[in-house]
Amino acid sequence: MSSFELKIVACDRLFYQGECHSLIFPGYDGEIEIMANHAPMVTMVEIGELRYRPEEHADWQKVIVSDGFIQVDHNKVNVTVYSAERPEEIDTFRAEAAMERAREQLQQKQSIKEYRISQASLARAMARLKSTGVHTDPK
Amino acid sequence: MASAKEIQNRIKSINDTMKITRAMYMMSSMKLRKARQRLDNTEPYFYSLQEQIREILYHFPDMEHLYFDNRDEDEQEKVKRRGIIVLTGDKGMAGAYNHNVIKEAKQLAETSENPRLFIVGEVGRNFFEGIQASVEKEFRFSTNHPTIHRARVITEEIVELYQQEELDEVYIVCTRMVNSMKQETEVTRLLPFATHEFIDQELLERAREEQAAKNRTSEELAEAASQEYDTGEYIIYPSPYEVLNSLAYNYVTGYIYGALVEAFACEENARMIAMQSATDNAEAMLHDLSIEYNRVRQAAITQEITEVIGGAKALKKKKKKQQAER
Repeated sequence: MSSFELKIVACDRLFYQGECHSLIFPGYDGEIEIMANHAPMVTMVEIGELRYRPEEHADWQKVIVSDGFIQVDHNKVNVTVYSAERPEEIDTFRAEAAMERAREQLQQKQSIKEYRISQASLARAMARLKSTGVHTDPK
Repeated sequence: MASAKEIQNRIKSINDTMKITRAMYMMSSMKLRKARQRLDNTEPYFYSLQEQIREILYHFPDMEHLYFDNRDEDEQEKVKRRGIIVLTGDKGMAGAYNHNVIKEAKQLAETSENPRLFIVGEVGRNFFEGIQASVEKEFRFSTNHPTIHRARVITEEIVELYQQEELDEVYIVCTRMVNSMKQETEVTRLLPFATHEFIDQELLERAREEQAAKNRTSEELAEAASQEYDTGEYIIYPSPYEVLNSLAYNYVTGYIYGALVEAFACEENARMIAMQSATDNAEAMLHDLSIEYNRVRQAAITQEITEVIGGAKALKKKKKKQQAER
């Protein structure tokens, strides 16, 4: 079965580079799946859970990403995101604290600018917590 | 000549100072190593963003966008409101590092009309508030331990003003590390982006790739051709404008983060070198002082001996005289 080359770059490291069979990411208006020989494309990645299969029947590898981009070109896929973490790397305690903080900030009067920042942190914290929670299974 | 006691006091105080400079040297070298590591880690992210902007611009070179410099409005405007981001350190003791940045920033501010200064770092803020420049009071950030979060907040602030067209151009004054011994202060226009530069670079890159393709053997070429499935279509979803919008925003964040980390690395590097030379100077002074101290001590001993001998001689003479008188 054909595969493609996947590269996931976060702002603090090269997260993953290697073969990939299929990739599902949170897109602009819902999840998008990419398989081998996809047409050239550039689109946005939203905060949420991205998953990929290194081989055809391998388990899905989950990655929590925040906003960024994906570029597909000649069977090479570049994912450039602000942060990428595996669920087991996530510090639940920290994420919970961040969520509390963001909720609190959202209840106060803020400028639009501050509102956007708090909202993004809230979304990130929730995505992180969701991935470590018990009730979520993407399969 | 100073007395032995005085010299000893000086030696002691220089020793104490040297302990401090040495400790600062060690701290700086550690921070520098961390900052370098961070800089290396963030590089792929930054290049990747840059490449994507280039790709889009290559496919849509005529697109007009707020973030790019090919808009008609931009050419018509005579007066540009400039925002200047200045990255300085939080404290001194870093050789000429802060001076160089401040000098460049001052020059740039003087050549523009009503510039607004966004200063990161305590040293620069103190200086520009001292000369009554129009410093943004709300804009308070430190360059110590740069994080991507700080870069985001800074970007949010700048981009908001830029989107409201309160700023037409944003410059950034920061220090780049050429190599571990040399650093340069650099003034770069952050916004709007120079469209043609991106396109030129993309063209260069493509030419290079073609050149590489020509050098390949026929077998490799055949293989590459079989993999070719280009439909000539290029999807940008949801729309080029939308994608560029957030791509540009992330690019600014990436750029500011890179600049913050690099400036921090440069500051620590400058401090390390300054502290190294301070330690060297202290050692040289100690060397001179210890020679002087030995000389003074020797002189004192010699003098004492002479005095003793003189005294003894005088006593002897006196005894002889007394014996003769008897």
